[in-house]
Amino acid sequence: MKKIAILFLLFTLAFSSHKYYLSLTQIEYNKDQDSLEVIINVFMDDIEFAINKEYSVDLRLTTKQELEDVDSYFQKYLRKNLRFLVNKELVNYNFIGKEYEGDLVYFYLEVNVSDSPVSLEVYNTILVTYFEQQQNIIKFKNGSDRQSKILSKNTNKALLKF
Amino acid sequence: MKKIVSLAFSFLFVMTATIAQNSGKKQIKGHTDQNKFRQLKDVLPTPNNRRTASGAPGFEYTQQKVDYKMDIVLDEKTNRIFGNESITYKNNSKDYLEYLWVQLDQNMRSPDSKTPLANSEKLGNTPYNGPKTFIKNNILKPADFGFKIEEVNNVNGNQLSYTVNRTMMRINLPQPLTPGGTFQFNIKWNYLINNSVTDGGRSGFELFEDGNKNYTIAQFFPRLAVYDNVEGWQNMQFWGRSEWALEFGDYDVKITVPADHIVDATGELLNEKKVLSKEQLKRFEKAKTSFIDPVFIVTQEEAEIAEKERSKKTKTWHFNAKNVRDFAFASSRKYIWDAMAVNINGKTVMAVSLYPKEGNPLWEEHSTRVVANTLEEYSKMTFDYPYSKAISVHADRQGMEYPMICFNYGRPNPDGSYSERTKRGMIGVITHEVGHNFFPMIVNSDERQWTWMDEGINSFVEILAELDYDPNFITGNLPKDIVGYMSINQNNLSPIMSQGDYVKNFGPNAYTKPAAGLYMLRQTIMGPELFDYAFRTYSQRWMFKHPSPADFFRTMEDASAMDLDWFWRGWFYTTDYNDIALKEVKKFYLTDQPTDEAKKMAKRYSMDLADYEGKLVYFKEEQKGAVNDGLIASEIPLIKDHIASMSDEEKSLLKEIPNYFYEVTFEKPGGLVMPLIVELEYNDGTKERHNYPAQIWRYNDNEVSKVFKTTKEIKKITIDPDLETADIDTSNNSWPKKDNSKFDKFRKKLKG
Repeated sequence: MKKIAILFLLFTLAFSSHKYYLSLTQIEYNKDQDSLEVIINVFMDDIEFAINKEYSVDLRLTTKQELEDVDSYFQKYLRKNLRFLVNKELVNYNFIGKEYEGDLVYFYLEVNVSDSPVSLEVYNTILVTYFEQQQNIIKFKNGSDRQSKILSKNTNKALLKF
Repeated sequence: MKKIVSLAFSFLFVMTATIAQNSGKKQIKGHTDQNKFRQLKDVLPTPNNRRTASGAPGFEYTQQKVDYKMDIVLDEKTNRIFGNESITYKNNSKDYLEYLWVQLDQNMRSPDSKTPLANSEKLGNTPYNGPKTFIKNNILKPADFGFKIEEVNNVNGNQLSYTVNRTMMRINLPQPLTPGGTFQFNIKWNYLINNSVTDGGRSGFELFEDGNKNYTIAQFFPRLAVYDNVEGWQNMQFWGRSEWALEFGDYDVKITVPADHIVDATGELLNEKKVLSKEQLKRFEKAKTSFIDPVFIVTQEEAEIAEKERSKKTKTWHFNAKNVRDFAFASSRKYIWDAMAVNINGKTVMAVSLYPKEGNPLWEEHSTRVVANTLEEYSKMTFDYPYSKAISVHADRQGMEYPMICFNYGRPNPDGSYSERTKRGMIGVITHEVGHNFFPMIVNSDERQWTWMDEGINSFVEILAELDYDPNFITGNLPKDIVGYMSINQNNLSPIMSQGDYVKNFGPNAYTKPAAGLYMLRQTIMGPELFDYAFRTYSQRWMFKHPSPADFFRTMEDASAMDLDWFWRGWFYTTDYNDIALKEVKKFYLTDQPTDEAKKMAKRYSMDLADYEGKLVYFKEEQKGAVNDGLIASEIPLIKDHIASMSDEEKSLLKEIPNYFYEVTFEKPGGLVMPLIVELEYNDGTKERHNYPAQIWRYNDNEVSKVFKTTKEIKKITIDPDLETADIDTSNNSWPKKDNSKFDKFRKKLKG
């Protein structure tokens, strides 16, 4: 029944705020640096809503009252909802920073990989807990090779080949 | 010409021979016309005398008229509405009607509603509940929402036979209603009002901590369904999403509310002297001549005093509205009330706002001004706003439109602070909902069937109005904004031309995609001049009438001499996306030495190139590593001498002689056809733009080539540099390929 309540809420918002629930994770393999350069964009309203709920805070993004340690919440949320496995091993990543652009927040991450990567598994559950229709697109670029996957609540893992 | 014909014939002969040889081995299958530019004849309904092939109402076009006289009582204590209406139904069609269908929208939330039953459920998606939610969802009995029909009588007070099928009620007429005939009947009803914040809904109330309520009321009375020659009776059930199809008519409505409430509604207030104080009346008169700033009719101070009291008396507000398709009202003692005058082509229209103190300081600053701006901008694109006023009512979480009145969200934090996004959301929603006065309140399309005809068209005009209010406004409805949606998995896409109740990703499908498409049509495909004339023609032809999608598609073509069938078919009838890519760039230079290609060609035609020495100039492809023995065109004697031999008049027709030749091949991984926009950037930094119409793809849907002959060397070629065509992959749009990645740019920015 809660789902129905959520559905109704979404319906109400849908009358005019004609939005959709989507994030894009672009991953590019940088061979020279042995790294993956990752750019994620999400709708600012959605990520703010999710983090506020999850950590009982009020981020107030892009206002004068924006929390000073907002990056720590972004990082916390991403570490929980975004993981990379290279050659089936969980790898760490550096949070380089974030950028606001219009309605979107861009996150920049750098993943260190071994010098002979074969497979990349991306686990992505960004926003799916809060938005039924959330879809997370993964785009992977390795030289001229391009692969893309679409993840959702039911499919939260993408397997990519180098 | 003759030579071409004979060549074509010999080609045909060769083809036939090949096929004949192959026969017996493999059958070559034929196909029907699948060209992307084929006309929409298989899709659009056959024109007739009611709806013409030009997209206009025909000479036999008719529509029904329904007038309502209502007495409404709002009981704040019990949250009930009691109503009594007299309906006059005028049958303007040439058909005999055995029954009338009446819409009972409140039944969508009645305990026996099928709406929740038709939704898939999973417990696993909500692993935890707070106590309130747990009780609400698992223990609480469903509230007794839905219409309680007390009486359905004819004018003599005798009961009429009727049948209720969920949200639709059939009035079984004693004898068929004749063409041109009128049928009058009465309905008495009451219902429990939902809390629109906790129960959801496009109508209802918000409960404040001190017990005060903000009523934003609509779908509160049984309303006639539309009867026409497109759907018959439009009596598809109201499932909660796809909105309404309604007839025009005149309304006379008396609304009785607690005496300390402020009420505003669709239509003119007839008894202002009875319900307003002298001071309020004086302020209202002042507002009628205030064209720059809103005038307060009720100030925040006064509203804050009013909301502390609870009057036990009642007051009746009397409204009258002519030629509207619906009626809604708002009522609360919390309202601050302001208004200003708007000049619409010489006629004064009132822009009005009602909001509780919780809406300030945002609302007093922007609401009424945004209403005024919307009326002005929409009037420019369509017709002069014909009603006397437009009201924006503050409502938590609602964004909903009715004739002359709409309910809008946008609430600052309790301390009065707000983010730019809250402000933008509020300006956006007010523009959108006030804009709905034009689509569908006046250009009255069938919302139950086609969400895009009101939401999409309205969201398109909304872009223009918002950019007028603030040129830097983030509208979220531009072609570049729909790219994300159009590139998602095909399983999650529906064509725009789908009935609203089963559309996936409703928002981008029915709002953003049609809006972005029309924006593209205006800015990129047709140009504002042709588009605006045709769009205005559509609006004016169907003002106070019921247009269908074909009427829109046909008018846009008929009034502009642009064949847009390919655009409607691709953008509205399919889920195809646009992706145009730069496949290859070949550079050529000029030489007086025969090239291999020239030699081959010569051999085929039994020519000896030696005979033509000094008489031909050759295009030679530049090869990496090979010596470039190219000549500059102006220095090739053959060309130089030929030009020298020309008369001054002939010379005056010449352009500068090009020295660089590029053969550029474009491919199209996307299924849509779109104009091809190409920007050339030269070595000296100057740029040149070429626009090729979508028809460039008419022979080959996969690949086309263009030759650019330039006097300067090209440094860079970019397809659609301004992101006008919703190309879903721009990484294949340039030559040479982009090098400076977004990631590197960001890293550089961090280093400062």
